[in-house]
Amino acid sequence: MKIMIDEREVMAYPGEAILEVCRRENIFIPTLCYHPAFKGQGACRMCMVEIIDSRGQRKLVASCTYPVSDGLKVITSSEKIRKIRKTLAMLIAGRAQASPFAQKMAGEYEVKPFFFKGFENEKCILCRLCVNACEEMGSAVLAAVSRGVDKRIETPYAEGAEECIGCKACAEICPTGAIEVKEENGQRIIWHKTFDLIKCESCGREFATPEQIRFIEDKTGRKIEKFLCEGCRKRQTAEVIKEFSV
Amino acid sequence: MPKGGPGKGMGNVIYVQPEKCTGCRTCELTCSFMHTGEFDPTRSRIAVVGFEKTGFFFPAVCQQCDPAPCMEVCPVGAISRSEATGAMEVNHEVCIRCKMCMIACPFGATFYDAKDNQIIKCDLCGGDPECVKNCGSKALTFSKSSPAVSLKRRAAAAKIKEVLEEVR
Ligand code: SF4
Ligand code: SF4
Ligand code: FES
Repeated sequence: MKIMIDEREVMAYPGEAILEVCRRENIFIPTLCYHPAFKGQGACRMCMVEIIDSRGQRKLVASCTYPVSDGLKVITSSEKIRKIRKTLAMLIAGRAQASPFAQKMAGEYEVKPFFFKGFENEKCILCRLCVNACEEMGSAVLAAVSRGVDKRIETPYAEGAEECIGCKACAEICPTGAIEVKEENGQRIIWHKTFDLIKCESCGREFATPEQIRFIEDKTGRKIEKFLCEGCRKRQTAEVIKEFSV
Repeated sequence: MPKGGPGKGMGNVIYVQPEKCTGCRTCELTCSFMHTGEFDPTRSRIAVVGFEKTGFFFPAVCQQCDPAPCMEVCPVGAISRSEATGAMEVNHEVCIRCKMCMIACPFGATFYDAKDNQIIKCDLCGGDPECVKNCGSKALTFSKSSPAVSLKRRAAAAKIKEVLEEVR
């Protein structure tokens, strides 16, 4: 099908969201809660665009979730859209006061954040990318809890969850570095849970949690007999081949 | 190493003949330059393992396994086999950098490029590997595993395959 984006005709496929088409066409739309590995969430509203219906009525929609339809007309930048993004940037920076990412964004949108009380150390912008990542990992231990200003990302009962494998995928995807990971004394601490890291049998470097190894064994259906870090796995291959070629 | 062996069905594979490798690391530099525009071995997708005492060198590079553990463990389907080349390729857009593939690769041939924050691995340069072209001592070769390939080489390849299977 064909849709119109900023008066330009582009190809789109059924089931796609407006944002996905824009990305393919290199039309920039700012996003916070969107990642190509997941479906659009419509949580942050940063990706708002205007669409024009058959009667010429304009409507604001989140482009990461709004599905394309034949002949759809989209406007990606307007006074209205700019205003919304400014307001969002202001609110987000007001909440995530300890996040350089959020503060920088406020600067880019030329807004002065309204600093909420009690959020001096907050980094999380509630984009829920961590929730999505954890779900994809198959653990699904993270969720947004509470409402209103108290909303935050947590594990059930704010305790270490059985299903958490300590993979750090959540911390890795977090755009603001809000998820704390501690690694010391051979342990990794994340989300109220402590993991004893597995040491490389050859060089002693800590390289994974036992739960991560189990994850890999489950997915590949093969048992990992020897725990070696990436570097020592290369060396092991070399050693075996050396044996055979002399 | 999995059944099917390296690059099954697609034909083109990188053969490593370590006894010919002089440890010059031209492949590492070539690889990083071709993919990043920089001569930086830490950003290479091939890594030479050296045993200085005996003068034995082994360029470790992705074996394009089938089935590929990296692909099997990827939670978001960011790794897939290129239909054109048979190489296991990473979609950086989709990748969530959980690094499971790095832990899973039996050969340690999946790398992390800290500068670009990307998982990198040999992609066979789209079907014409630059490292092979630049390897002066011909320790790396790229050939079709078709009947045209000499028996001797196929025997060697089978042997290496066997060895790698053992490693896994
Ligand atoms: S570290 Fe735990 S909470 Fe975070 S993504 Fe992995 S399994 Fe989920
Ligand atoms: S790091 Fe990326 S490519 Fe590797 S397993 Fe995780 S999501 Fe897949
Ligand atoms: S990116 Fe669309 S709502 Fe967040």
